[in-house]
Amino acid sequence: MDMKVTGTLMQSYTICKRQVWLMAHQIIPDQEHPFIEMGRIIDDNSYDRDKKKLHFENVVIDLVRSDKDNFLVGEVKKSSKAEKSAKMQLLFYLYRLKQSGIIAKGQLFFPEERKRINVELTETNEKEILNAINEITDIIDREKAPDFVKIPYCKNCGYREFCMS
Amino acid sequence: MKKSIYIFSDGELHRKDNTLFFEGENGRKFIPVENTSEIMIFGEVSLNKRFLEFISQSEIILHFFNYYGYYVGSYYPREHLNSGYMILKQAEHYNDDNKRLYLAQKFIEGAYKNIRQVLKYYQNRDKDLEDIIYCIEKLGELINGTLSVNELMAIEGNIREYYYKSFDVILNNRDFEFDVRSKRPPKNSLNTLISFGNSLMYTTVLSEIYKTHLAPRIGYLHSTNFRRFSLNLDIAEIFKPIIIDRVIFSVVSKNMIKKDDFDDNAEGLILKERGKKIFIEEYVSKLTTTIKHRTIGNNVSYRRLIRLELYKLEKHLMEEQGYEPFLAQW
Repeated sequence: MDMKVTGTLMQSYTICKRQVWLMAHQIIPDQEHPFIEMGRIIDDNSYDRDKKKLHFENVVIDLVRSDKDNFLVGEVKKSSKAEKSAKMQLLFYLYRLKQSGIIAKGQLFFPEERKRINVELTETNEKEILNAINEITDIIDREKAPDFVKIPYCKNCGYREFCMS
Repeated sequence: MKKSIYIFSDGELHRKDNTLFFEGENGRKFIPVENTSEIMIFGEVSLNKRFLEFISQSEIILHFFNYYGYYVGSYYPREHLNSGYMILKQAEHYNDDNKRLYLAQKFIEGAYKNIRQVLKYYQNRDKDLEDIIYCIEKLGELINGTLSVNELMAIEGNIREYYYKSFDVILNNRDFEFDVRSKRPPKNSLNTLISFGNSLMYTTVLSEIYKTHLAPRIGYLHSTNFRRFSLNLDIAEIFKPIIIDRVIFSVVSKNMIKKDDFDDNAEGLILKERGKKIFIEEYVSKLTTTIKHRTIGNNVSYRRLIRLELYKLEKHLMEEQGYEPFLAQW
């Protein structure tokens, strides 16, 4: 198992391959970008009653709940706009937990929208995750970052000025 | 955008739980932690370790200036943006003589072209600068053919010599004659303003570098001894003509700073507090002025342009896109 792949990279993967490479090389986005600041605050201030931030190998899980036999891991997001990428991130955590023999359920939390989405690891999406892990590893191992391609996501991206300067 | 805080009065900087405040003669003044990127300290200020701990955690830089207004040094908190990859790239471009020279030339090219732009502006306002511009252009043509950083520095020195001559033509003010460039200490009012302005520029660029993955100790034009900050000096070359020199022209020609704003002192001629405040006000307003950026597509401030310059440098080091310095268009 390649430890280079993290949840954040999995999240970036469905949005922008260039972002995956930059993140993996620790060239992180502008920390003063308003959305990044907002995300940090939402994450810090929501769901105070739960156990937060479970560190497990190179994985950091936002929130963990357990009652009886159910083990639930959650990922907190500012908006459900990039639902697909948030889902991939959470599936990745579920997959990593499963490898360690822990069967968990997942839930995406959008506190601002008072919305939750259940996420479960199935045979199909497990394959999808495996493919993604392989492809992310390939991207990271490249000598140079994938070229900049302008997409709608760029508008609110913390790398916007980096890519477009 | 986070703000810079300037402290001129004497007093104490304190941390109380998770807040910061300055206590001076006029009572307490709170410093918004989330909204401050740097504190520029001109007054006699004391502070303690608890304060520094919180400043580091909040990623705020402190820049200190002494009584005379000279830059003393910075408290540069532990870096929070670390990219081993970027540091290796930065070193690689320093160790390879050709790669280093390329960047050094680009910084000087940027300085030269922006100097020319400043001169052209005044030429269009009927200042007789034709001869100076001619000489500077002749020197400018030599930049790309230089074979070493030293040779390049010599050309840059010559360009500056002509450039500073133009200050007398532009200002035409007997209280602010250039004479020769004198530093540590500056011997006349104009030199004092240049030194003061340049040290502000160096600290501003340093604060921007702090927010990137670049190591401030590895510069290309200004030799690295891996001890002092030098990358900020490199990048400042590009912006000095269009930011600092324009501020100088503006405060002098509008009579905002006058002869009696200076004090003759054993340490040379120094700018008094009133003068410093006026200069900084103009400087800050210049940094926050926005212009339309061609590739990004929206308005960006001059301060942001400095950051973008650093991003361009990062992309150059990553061998993505050749670095081209920012050139003022007017």
